[in-house]
Amino acid sequence: MPDKTKQAPALRVSGLTKRFPGVLALDDVSLEVHSGEVLALLGENGAGKSTLIKMLAGVYVPDGGTIETKGQERHFTSPADALAAGIKVVFQEIALVPEFTVAENIFLEDHLAGRFGKVGWREIRRRAAEIFERAGFDIDPDAKVRDLPISQQQLVEISRALAHEAEIVIMDEPTSSLTPAEVRHLFQVIERLKSLGIAIIYVSHKLEEIFEIADHCTVLRDGRWVSSKPTAEHTNASLVTDMVGREITDMFPRTDRTPGETLVKVEGLSTRRLLKDLSFDVRAGEVVGFFGLMGAGRTELAKALVGYDPISEGTIRIADKPLSPHDTRTGKALGIGLLSEDRKEEGLMLDTSVTRNMTLATLDRFTKAGFVDTAAETKAAQGYTDRFRIKMARLDQAIRTLSGGNQQKVLLSRWLMHGLKVIVLDEPTRGIDVGAKAEIFALIDELAAEGFAVILMTSEMPELLGLSDRIFVLSGGRITGSFDRAGATQEGVLDAAIK
Amino acid sequence: MASTETHDTPGLFRRVMESEHGFLALVLIVLVVGLGLATDRFLTGSNAVAILHQSSLVLIVAVGMTLLLITAEVDISVGASLAFASCIVMATINATGSIALGALAGVAFGAGIGLINALVTTVLRVNSLIGTIAMMMMLNGGVYLFTREAVQNHHQLPLFPKIATGFIAGIPVPVLIAAVVAAVGWIALSRTRIGRLFLATGANPRATRLSGYSPERFKTVAFVVTGALVGLAAVVLASLLNAGQPTAGQGFELTVIAAVLLGGTSLMGGRGTVLGTILAVLILKVIDNGIILLRWNQDLQIIVPGIVLILALYMDQRKRGHHAG
Amino acid sequence: MKATTRRISALAIAVGVTASGAWAQETPKRIGYIVNYATHEWYQNVIKGMEARADELGIEVEVIDANLDIAKQVAAAEDFMARQIDVLVMTPVNEQGVVPIVRRAKADGVPLVIEGNPVPGMQTMVAICDYDTGYSAGVVAGEMLKGEGDDAPRVMNVGLPLLSATILRSQGFMDGIQTIYPEAEMVHDLDGGGNPDRAQEVSSAALAADSDIDVIYGINDSSALGGLQAWRAAGLPEDDLLVVGTGSEGLAFLNEMQTEGPFKIEAAMFPEKIGYTLVDTAVSLFQGEDLPEHVVSPTTAVTFDEVGQFYSYDGTSRQIQWDGINALPVPEACMKYASDL
Repeated sequence: MPDKTKQAPALRVSGLTKRFPGVLALDDVSLEVHSGEVLALLGENGAGKSTLIKMLAGVYVPDGGTIETKGQERHFTSPADALAAGIKVVFQEIALVPEFTVAENIFLEDHLAGRFGKVGWREIRRRAAEIFERAGFDIDPDAKVRDLPISQQQLVEISRALAHEAEIVIMDEPTSSLTPAEVRHLFQVIERLKSLGIAIIYVSHKLEEIFEIADHCTVLRDGRWVSSKPTAEHTNASLVTDMVGREITDMFPRTDRTPGETLVKVEGLSTRRLLKDLSFDVRAGEVVGFFGLMGAGRTELAKALVGYDPISEGTIRIADKPLSPHDTRTGKALGIGLLSEDRKEEGLMLDTSVTRNMTLATLDRFTKAGFVDTAAETKAAQGYTDRFRIKMARLDQAIRTLSGGNQQKVLLSRWLMHGLKVIVLDEPTRGIDVGAKAEIFALIDELAAEGFAVILMTSEMPELLGLSDRIFVLSGGRITGSFDRAGATQEGVLDAAIK
Repeated sequence: MASTETHDTPGLFRRVMESEHGFLALVLIVLVVGLGLATDRFLTGSNAVAILHQSSLVLIVAVGMTLLLITAEVDISVGASLAFASCIVMATINATGSIALGALAGVAFGAGIGLINALVTTVLRVNSLIGTIAMMMMLNGGVYLFTREAVQNHHQLPLFPKIATGFIAGIPVPVLIAAVVAAVGWIALSRTRIGRLFLATGANPRATRLSGYSPERFKTVAFVVTGALVGLAAVVLASLLNAGQPTAGQGFELTVIAAVLLGGTSLMGGRGTVLGTILAVLILKVIDNGIILLRWNQDLQIIVPGIVLILALYMDQRKRGHHAG
Repeated sequence: MKATTRRISALAIAVGVTASGAWAQETPKRIGYIVNYATHEWYQNVIKGMEARADELGIEVEVIDANLDIAKQVAAAEDFMARQIDVLVMTPVNEQGVVPIVRRAKADGVPLVIEGNPVPGMQTMVAICDYDTGYSAGVVAGEMLKGEGDDAPRVMNVGLPLLSATILRSQGFMDGIQTIYPEAEMVHDLDGGGNPDRAQEVSSAALAADSDIDVIYGINDSSALGGLQAWRAAGLPEDDLLVVGTGSEGLAFLNEMQTEGPFKIEAAMFPEKIGYTLVDTAVSLFQGEDLPEHVVSPTTAVTFDEVGQFYSYDGTSRQIQWDGINALPVPEACMKYASDL
């Protein structure tokens, strides 16, 4: 151990600075990571994490500061330079060739250069198998990458790092699309890499993961370095404070509220693809959480409930009126709406203004004789941006330029402006910063207190347990467990989820 | 304010380029000034009237196509439909002796074709590019079942030729028709609820549906409007050629779509303006006119717009890329 | 039914072979015509003329439309030959593309008449003289203008520079008008594509550039009418304009001439007469007569007063007046050919 600190760190970054037109994306940031160690790189969106790792990957060229590996200064002008210096970044968007086999992807550069000549095929398979052996991966080298799940594709990326004898592996939000079992497996892989003497930079904002695997934490905020400490010296609250820049006392505030009339009554709901015979009620002033692993049917239920996707059997009644015809028009008229999990594909009009995004569901209210009263529209939008403290320069700027949290607040405003009775929230905090998360949690509580029926679809355990008055667990399209707030435990819920 | 001005001195050019239609307006101005210097026959009243006259047919249909492209659909059958509808117009007037009935028949025919295109796209879920190419083929063949030859003017109503060749207050009638269509389209798209929902449908159909609307309904409206405008254009065309021409309108769809794209409407939907389309139609027709005035090879009339289109889309992409970065 | 006719014709050939002398003077029973594009009014009138003449002679004419598809044309020719057609008539979709058919017909001894454009190796062709047609119209136009005491006429040619035939027409027109007005000038030489919409478009642009025009010449009726409509759309006065069309292909020129407006001269090509001549030529060829390589079908320039000699018109259809057309002099050869260009 002591000789490790004497040794030059595997990677040292000093005073790194990057400027984009009009923005100082990274300002004088320093960090270091040693061989066999996991450094967590933390920060909210826009903190500068991705700018930093893109410079380490050779995608961006720094405007100032130095990068050293094993005490030697490096200048990267392309990703190939970074790889040659032993740095491999596993990005969120995996950069493999889907039509090639696993083995071909691992030795992609050599393969494309034809470096293995005629015997190449057998040779690269042998070497791929060797790497899997060393790292303890169970992957078929002949499988086509497009047929593999994301978790295995990640392992292929990591294998590429090993094939190039990388000494520093950077993982960018690696668990964002993994199931809990896959996350467990990834952590085992990380332990294995540590034991092989590889330094790892782990970018994430899931705090429970950080406490599990990181040795050190470096926190960035607004492009600046905030803190670097051993993980053991941090608490959940101290990390959040470092990231957000202010203290968040209560992640899940809770107003006292008594449930009112039944607003949603679902009986025997089935869809052709997945859902089977679901029945439940939701009352006014209640937050009902639905938990389930990937493919359990959360999103399917959310879409069927609001009339977006067809149902094959059963009835849905909103405030005692049937959702019939089963479409979103009727759903909206009865007062149920969905905040989709997929903001880009199902929520935002990216190049359209904040105002127009916000008033989409409410357009009829601002229409007189077919014409839109833009003054009234702007006034209403201004009211909501003030109320939810939506950060932006102007109401007419494209919503693309807002942060995920602010985008989510706009989409939520879209429904609140219309005035719903029931709101279905599908993964409402996906891809959102800790600070904005806390605000959205507070908002959900506020909505329930105002008498909304809130249906929350989530795969985040803390969110589920922190917010829900009652919990239903979905597995394979069926309800496999139900809990009230007092009786819900992480173990109980997970147990039901894998039934 | 003043400080940003000094801070950003190469600003004017950049601001023009980055404004919604600055680039198109600049191209049009450069073309007009350039041609004005190159030949003294360009900047004349009669030439201006000729350019506007030639722009009118394309513009009438391009306004509909702008709406349609905004909803992320396209109609390739407009040229074939134009020819067929012009035969219907003339045959109906021959049969009834009524221009109004002929015009109605033309518009109804075009709108009907639009409705079929819409149903193929929204109900059968056939990609509109493919569905309307199929429609084009059916119309190209079908028109010969209707008439083997041009439908001649047998009614000799004195008012009929005036639709295309008449003037009101010194302005050609087709130009007035196109101006009214463009003005209505402009207002509808920029000011009304349905215009808003056309844009939303193209920008994000799923979000539009989740917000309690039917994107299919707006696509259908856009198809039918485009078709009806084709019918209207067919009335003008029949009058202009003084016949219903089954062979007319070849390549018309390409001119229309090129103009709409040049005008900044996105092929992916969700973005576009009628003003951009107007500017683009004028640019294309000024180029056409210039090539003839300069006595260049007429084949350039097809080549040059192709080049202009690529350049314009490239500039547009660069502009947008700059914003995103 | 089919099998019977085939047997009978097989028998006829067998008889013909044995009694070859008598055979030569018989008229053919069946003529097969492969038209390149039956949709066009022009060819519909060619077919009408063929059918009229064939009826008189008691011959059966069978028409197949190649629809501008050379493969279809070749297949149709093979089909006719397989069915032992007496004479084959063909308007080539593509002059090079039909060369194999010409060879095969020669080898099999099937008489073949080509219509319109010459094909290498052909026996005989029926066609009008494009240059002469334009020329005669030019002369008539010049005389008409002279009668009104006009200055040197300025001409807008709505042409089609892609085809030698249409270039010849335009040249002929200018040469004809210059016999009266040597200083007559072609102000605009346009490519109107031969169709009315394109013709209208290019004429509009040209007129915007220079509208000081006395004569619009169109290489076909669509071109002339397109030019005229462009003139009207530009709001120009029609009183001193002269429009000359070419082809007499359908009803459009008759309609326009009847209004007694500027469309005063038609360079008539009489497609019906071409059909008529095709049948006569087919018969001669069948009977083994010696024929020139180019059999000319007559053309002439027609004014409104004369049009009744050739066509009667009731507003919806036209009837050819065979007496008038058959009285036209038929030249032995053309003044100028495509090979002279």
